[in-house]
Amino acid sequence: MSEAPVKQQEYALDTGWMQQMGEWGMHAEPGKRGLTLNEIQIGSYGEIPELSKNMTGRPRGAGERADAYRVGAYGVRAKSEIWLQNATFLYEEALQRQWSSATDVPWHTIEPLPDDIEEAECLLCTFFNEVEFVAGDVPARWVANTTPDFLEPRHVLIAQVMDEARHMDVFRKRALANGGGLMRMSGATSGFVGSIDLARDFTEMSTRLHISGEGAVLTMFRMGELFGQNEAEKIMYRLCAQDEARHVAFGVMHLRYLAETAPERREEIEFYLDEAEAQIMAGVQNPAGTQAETSEALAILLGGGKEHYDEGHKKLLVIRRRQLKEYMQRVKTAGFGARFENGRSTVPQQYEAAI
Amino acid sequence: MATKASRGMAVPAAMSEGGSGASVEGVPVPTYEWMGLTAEWGTRVKPGEHGLRLSDLNVGIYGEVPEVWEDQTRRPRGALPRPGVPPLPYNLRSKHQMWADSAANLYEEAIQRRWIPATEVPWHTLEPLPEDIERAVCQVCTELSQYANTEIEIITYWQDQMSYGYYEVKQFLATATFDCARLIEVLRKRALANGGGLGVESRGLVNRMILESRGGWTESAAYQYLMRGTFTMRVLSGLLNAAHNDAERMIFAKAIEDHARHLTYGYDHLKYAVSHQAGQADIMQTLLSLGEVMMAAELEETTLRPALAIIFGGGIQGGRTVGMETFLHLVGDFVRDYLALCDWLGVPRTEMLHPMLKKYLEY
Repeated sequence: MSEAPVKQQEYALDTGWMQQMGEWGMHAEPGKRGLTLNEIQIGSYGEIPELSKNMTGRPRGAGERADAYRVGAYGVRAKSEIWLQNATFLYEEALQRQWSSATDVPWHTIEPLPDDIEEAECLLCTFFNEVEFVAGDVPARWVANTTPDFLEPRHVLIAQVMDEARHMDVFRKRALANGGGLMRMSGATSGFVGSIDLARDFTEMSTRLHISGEGAVLTMFRMGELFGQNEAEKIMYRLCAQDEARHVAFGVMHLRYLAETAPERREEIEFYLDEAEAQIMAGVQNPAGTQAETSEALAILLGGGKEHYDEGHKKLLVIRRRQLKEYMQRVKTAGFGARFENGRSTVPQQYEAAI
Repeated sequence: MATKASRGMAVPAAMSEGGSGASVEGVPVPTYEWMGLTAEWGTRVKPGEHGLRLSDLNVGIYGEVPEVWEDQTRRPRGALPRPGVPPLPYNLRSKHQMWADSAANLYEEAIQRRWIPATEVPWHTLEPLPEDIERAVCQVCTELSQYANTEIEIITYWQDQMSYGYYEVKQFLATATFDCARLIEVLRKRALANGGGLGVESRGLVNRMILESRGGWTESAAYQYLMRGTFTMRVLSGLLNAAHNDAERMIFAKAIEDHARHLTYGYDHLKYAVSHQAGQADIMQTLLSLGEVMMAAELEETTLRPALAIIFGGGIQGGRTVGMETFLHLVGDFVRDYLALCDWLGVPRTEMLHPMLKKYLEY
């Protein structure tokens, strides 16, 4: 800054705003995990409105001005539409568990692979490079549309966009690091009705994205130990699974909150789940699905080459069963488990058949 | 497998090699139709001294960034398209609408420089401040939070409209919103940790201007980075100089580090847009002449003005003299930065600068 030659001048200084501030006298203290978002849920700052009237972008708890511009135009203003109980935890965990694809993946452990295996890995990486950022594009759009009174879920979604950027990047790096390249896109996340992109309601989007789409991918990432061909790939999948677990947890916990606080929407949610379940194995968004060409690539990776395709396919069935089992567990946790008992859902039958 | 040297060519050799041969009961016969479908094979990027960075991937066709990316799907750059895939509303499909050469490296830098307010800020160094100063600090935290929120909302409005051909920019902007979220978080924590609370909201004149910039991301970047961002950098630097304890020092030092990346991208993009799109410089002139009015008006009415004066002056009394004088110099420095940047961009504003901003040049 330039030097301030102090003039002997007294300026007017408005201090009227000091009488309009938010609640005073806050002494948030760090807990055993530091000063987390949880520690600052104090006084009026921890009071979350059921229906936000904040259209000015005001931080929750700040003093209001009568002459502030209504710049928000926020569509998501009801707490039940986006809230979840553990958002502060998920956000802080996201901060703690950031990683770098440039330096945290041991790229030097990658060694030339047989052509069929390299090609299978590259197809899988092309798929993930393509679809991972749907989970970046879409939550980003909803962030801009959500009142800042719901700071905590907004922050989790922003952390998710960050995670997805890293996923897009790590899979591109892997595809280009070992003598291969990108392959043909899948088109799995395109602009067709029922896709994640086009959902007009946050919970509907979250059901498609977090519960169904990312849930299936999470199971895949967790099984990366099985189909990763070297330490770099295993770590890549492990780190991605860590991130993906938070995203899925967001969806599960939000759905649970909605089920508890907006029971009038239960039937609507059941329909979203019906749609998701119809696609869970038959759709091409699941890279292990029955119609996805990535399934062939996975069978090659799991078997250790084309000549062991059948063996790889058996392992692929294990992944599919695990996807279905974990899906059912998530839906139960979210409070919609009755559908597996009352005959509404076909997932139990799909699970039994996937042997 | 047959060679994949031929660009865009489907090489069916792998399929004809047969794989497992006859089908086993319950195992569908693989088609391997996807094999050989690549636009360029044989890529082997290697980590450099900073690891395997995004910019290292720009080899062969994977590094060819087209001027226009007509593909409205999520096809990764360099991957083969699939006919019949329905489009998505990727409305920004020209390079000049978002590009900055620095985006890939800024993305990696953002990841390397991650920090955690909960555990890395030495919160125990906070000590009670005189009430007028604490109120001023809390007010500044509140307004800067709104600045960051505006940046989040304008980026996330445009981000999903940016096509995949320029993925480096999309990825960098993901780090920028993450930085902003962290800034909101740490400022809120600071405001609630030392006997104070949040201040009063901003009236939001410049916030509105940024959020209403719907003519394209370049327009938003002009307001968000060239105008608001350049001012914010001066504010953060002033706050770092006036920090009362190590916690505040770390908060503002880290905020500067993050904000500098955003500005680097923003300036770099504006330069690219002005130098690669005919007429953009003229459009910028119009936008900036309008923006200067808003910026000048906000500088007159913002509560940041008295709040920063109190912080710089060590209290209300000092705020009326040396504190306000320091604030006026800070604004003068901002205006000089702004004019220098406009010259560099090829959009000179010195002769046309709004008088309400010009007056700060005396400081």
